[in-house]
Amino acid sequence: MAEAQAKTPANAWLMGLLAWAVPGAGHFFQGRWVRGLVVASAVVGMFLIGLLFGGHLFGLSGGGEGSSALLQLPPMIANLGSGILYLLCWAGNTGFSDAAEYARRATFEYGNTFLLVAGLLNYLAMLDAFDIAAGRKS
Amino acid sequence: MMLFAGIVALVFGVVARETLRDRVLYGLKVFAEFMGIGLALAWLLYFLPF
Repeated sequence: MAEAQAKTPANAWLMGLLAWAVPGAGHFFQGRWVRGLVVASAVVGMFLIGLLFGGHLFGLSGGGEGSSALLQLPPMIANLGSGILYLLCWAGNTGFSDAAEYARRATFEYGNTFLLVAGLLNYLAMLDAFDIAAGRKS
Repeated sequence: MMLFAGIVALVFGVVARETLRDRVLYGLKVFAEFMGIGLALAWLLYFLPF
């Protein structure tokens, strides 16, 4: 395992980090324009649709008593996959509201699903960018 | 559901396959699976009395 890690170029880790931070960037920096464009459009599009639908972004600072706050952790990890989109919303306190009127919207759960899957797709794209940079994928 | 399935199938196709033909075929397969399973579950839940 240590041998496999030693063979992974530092560039691959950088590309992975870049792909997470800015959707599509990991592919753009490796000259995979079409792949990067598809990933960026899909992730940003899904994220924006999720917000427009009134979806909820999860954070650890949400309500809940005792260990129930830990229930926020898995969806937060999925949301965090959107990289800078999540961080911008966090900085602007957009989409984190726990107010009941948001949850009453008919599209609330659709919005949640779009936001969660946007992050998960970006994790997938991040692994793809890493593999390309590491030479494991063409 | 179609929008969701379309976007996810697009990314799956682009990331998981190398040639254009394979990407299109795999994307269509994933899209059809999402739609088929989604509609099947929707009808199943429709008939459930609780």
